[in-house]
Amino acid sequence: MSLALLLSAGLGLGPTPVEQDYFVYVTAESADEVYVVHFDGQQAGIQSMVEVGYMPTEIEGPHGLTVEPGGEHWYLSMAHGMPFGTLYKYRTSDNRLVGKVGLGLFPATMQISVDTGLLYCVNFDLHGDMSPSSVSIVDPEAMVEVARTTTGPMPHGSRLSADGRRHYSCAMMSDELIEMDAGTFEVLRRLHLDDGTGGIARPRDGGHHDAVTKPTWVQPHPDGKRAFVCLNGSAQVVEVNLKDWEVSRRLPTAKAPYNLEVSPDGKQLVVTYKGAASVGVWDLDKSEELARIPTTRRITHGVVIAPDGKFAFVSSEGIGGEPGSLDVINLTTLKRVASVDLGLQAGGIAFWKMEKRAQ
Amino acid sequence: MSLSALSLLLLSPALPLAQDATPPTARIVIQPPSLELQVGETATLEASVIGADGQTLDEEVFFFSRARRSVTIDREGKVEAVAPGQFTIVVRTRRRGATAEGQESRVSLGERLTAEVSVTVLPPPLVELTVIAPEGRLFAGTEVDLQVRGTDDRGAERAVPGLSIASSDPSVAEFNSFGQLELRGPGSFTATAEAEGVKTSLDMRVHANPVASLDLLVDSEEARTGDVLHFSPHARDLNGSPVTEVPVTLSFTARFDDDLGPAASGQIEPDGRFVAETPGIYTIVATCGSNTARKSVRIVPRNVGGKLKLVGRGKVYDTHTSDLWIWEGLDGRDYAVTGTWGANGDAIFWDVTDPANIERIATVNVDARTVNDVKVTPDGRLCVLSREGASNRKNGVILVDVSNPREPEVLTSYDEALTGGVHNVFADGNTIYALSAGRRYDVIDAADPRSPRTIGSFELDTPSHSIHDVWVEDGLAYSSNWSNGVHIVDVGAGLKGGSPSNPQPVASYAYPSGWNHAAFPYRSKETGRFYVVAGDEAFPFGLHTEGLPTYPRGWFHFIDFTDLEAPQEVARYQVPEAGTHNLWIEGDVLYGAYYNGGLRVVDISGELMGDLYRQGREIAFFLSADPEGHISNAPMVWGPQPHKGNIFFTDWNSGLWCVRLEQDENN
Repeated sequence: MSLALLLSAGLGLGPTPVEQDYFVYVTAESADEVYVVHFDGQQAGIQSMVEVGYMPTEIEGPHGLTVEPGGEHWYLSMAHGMPFGTLYKYRTSDNRLVGKVGLGLFPATMQISVDTGLLYCVNFDLHGDMSPSSVSIVDPEAMVEVARTTTGPMPHGSRLSADGRRHYSCAMMSDELIEMDAGTFEVLRRLHLDDGTGGIARPRDGGHHDAVTKPTWVQPHPDGKRAFVCLNGSAQVVEVNLKDWEVSRRLPTAKAPYNLEVSPDGKQLVVTYKGAASVGVWDLDKSEELARIPTTRRITHGVVIAPDGKFAFVSSEGIGGEPGSLDVINLTTLKRVASVDLGLQAGGIAFWKMEKRAQ
Repeated sequence: MSLSALSLLLLSPALPLAQDATPPTARIVIQPPSLELQVGETATLEASVIGADGQTLDEEVFFFSRARRSVTIDREGKVEAVAPGQFTIVVRTRRRGATAEGQESRVSLGERLTAEVSVTVLPPPLVELTVIAPEGRLFAGTEVDLQVRGTDDRGAERAVPGLSIASSDPSVAEFNSFGQLELRGPGSFTATAEAEGVKTSLDMRVHANPVASLDLLVDSEEARTGDVLHFSPHARDLNGSPVTEVPVTLSFTARFDDDLGPAASGQIEPDGRFVAETPGIYTIVATCGSNTARKSVRIVPRNVGGKLKLVGRGKVYDTHTSDLWIWEGLDGRDYAVTGTWGANGDAIFWDVTDPANIERIATVNVDARTVNDVKVTPDGRLCVLSREGASNRKNGVILVDVSNPREPEVLTSYDEALTGGVHNVFADGNTIYALSAGRRYDVIDAADPRSPRTIGSFELDTPSHSIHDVWVEDGLAYSSNWSNGVHIVDVGAGLKGGSPSNPQPVASYAYPSGWNHAAFPYRSKETGRFYVVAGDEAFPFGLHTEGLPTYPRGWFHFIDFTDLEAPQEVARYQVPEAGTHNLWIEGDVLYGAYYNGGLRVVDISGELMGDLYRQGREIAFFLSADPEGHISNAPMVWGPQPHKGNIFFTDWNSGLWCVRLEQDENN
């Protein structure tokens, strides 16, 4: 391979043969398992499986995953306990459990800030009475919860700005996007997310879910100026202008957009459609859905994009006894290029690492 | 740099991206560098960032506590001590250097500065020690426990580590190495307690022991292993008058009928209750001062042994099987329903009228991964299935019309406030008790099974409470709550004015292991005592879902609730090297699902005390090993239910079983 080709590949200027191995972690929420999946550019396979939890005959529900910025540890949120959930810390080198800390009800999505070094995990409280829940802030070195900030009912989609200074989450049952200062742990702003037709979240009455847009996920754009939010109940992804703190664009999607990820170059958006067993790849400059790609299983759940921007990894839960699955989407050809069956209700997903494959 | 190294640098985003980050040569300086505070006291930390050149940098820091419930810190660095102990406050700069990473890119965390401040919160000062005098008079030749209480400067009781206590006259009274006060002779002495510079004394008097003679009586001179005998010492003075004020100590020696040398043989309580585990001659010794009395009794074998004979099978090999329910259908035939675990949401219906030829007659599939529990209403019309792992995460219960079990009809799915998963249910008439997300049980009126509605709920108010199961009988709900133990709640018994829509707590009992998983009431007609048998569930060695057997632990706890205000744990049934799951009691017989220990049938007649397993109360056991099981030859009995003279049970690895107890002719 010539130096010129190497340079062009490194700068992402043209197609090159895939020479990377990719590794992702995926949870199986109804099997209390976490899988390490290896993708070599053509085929995906299970590298290892980790049994998780402490109540063997009950479904504890591993839900959220993240790998710390340094890559040495991965973190898992377990939804159910006695009754509160738990955050677990494992080594990536051997998947050995090295720490844990109790959090709130149904801890779910999380991420570690490159700014504060702290981990921010939403307490989804999916099965509560829809009173405001919280974000747990955890010191991942000591594995202690250092603060808990009340946000809104059913918070989900815990994501940080690229500089790690702002935390964003959705309150699914009050149709809100919430911005928190990652250093002071204080809520800075709230944005009501309607469906563009004037619909608003109604006060809850008698335990019924009255939210309209049901935002489930937020991802700040790498440019730091905007964030994208899935409106699960309204079949839309909205772009929020973070300076003006208002919706600046609406992208109509398939049924029930659930998770999304912006490509590292900021040009593509990949959205899982939970209610349509598919994933959408969007061109953000053109506001155009480039492709809608069916997933192997129903109940499409999470997505991460490799740091080189070439592949998206999509988890799908399946229904009942169906295995969950991981699909790999080539973001250039917009085709599903590999799949692997996993345990029941594959959901939470985190990208671990890329490794140059030995030639 | 070599070409390969260059290519790696250019191609691998896994490399650190923040190449321009400032090396952490600066440091955080904190004043004061450590803190020592009293509870309730506050102090303020001043933090500065000093550059490599010694100049103060204009950098933002933030604080957090690693023990926020014991020591707090606010944005300005104000620390407040809440509880005693040694804690750490962290002071940290924000990330130093440029950032432009994607959310899952790997970057070094070394660019920020962190410093730690040690905070010692002192316990509130001890201001008073109190030696608590024993109730009643003290007598020579006996022994008492003396209590010492510490009080802090706020008037609260506090622990007193390093307490020393001594007697002024060891010839009268002396503390042994375990803190017990041995009363050696008549006279006066002073007990002095001292700790943390606080000292207190109590003058006490030891009286001459008036006991001149001692007799020991027993309610029977012969009993079986496991029978509780009652010994009563009778002390008299020189005049022959009864003495009741002086404590009498009981102990025993034993001579066994065999020469096998068992390690333990019986148990005696201070109130005179005695139970033996091994046949033989037992001599109980009463001691009071220099007086002793002896009484020997003969203990004979209990001889309750029988044999469990296999009658029939309903094999399930493709998935794990969970709970079962057996009932007589509207057509007079007998039916069973079994759940499935970690699978595809099936509930399987069986015709068990001829238990030697169990017939699988129907399957109901629901959107779930586990149908953990199955119950049928007493009228045989409605089946309740619990759901966990539903694809929409709404779970709840499924109500099925089983008027014709060969054609079960799903009537409705009900998930109101039950979305977190229903692990167990109970059907009391048309009233359904359903656990909600392991936090509480909801009460559902299913009189109209197509339109059920929640009419009540019961949840403990303790911190971090968690519930596992509920069973209802005669208007009382018995819930199992892990570390919170067994709770009895009036849902119509008339004890506390409770009803299904207004459950009222009656009594509770918790035990230290925190393994409380099941509960079943038992009223002994023979003794009039009211027990709740609490089953454990514990997997200290994990659970193998495929390929290998599992080795759980735990036992059945017998809690005497005869006095609802003062429940007492009096006995256990513990099979070594195995672990309990569900149980059933019919008459004076316990049917225990003992996971890897198989099915156990136990005689629980009469008064209960000690370890029933070691007392020979086990009537029979059955190991449901099956080479074709989901895990081969690995008994894992989930739940039992006696029905019309047979005993049905489910095995997690092999499905539905039916056995019959054959009593040994000699027993």
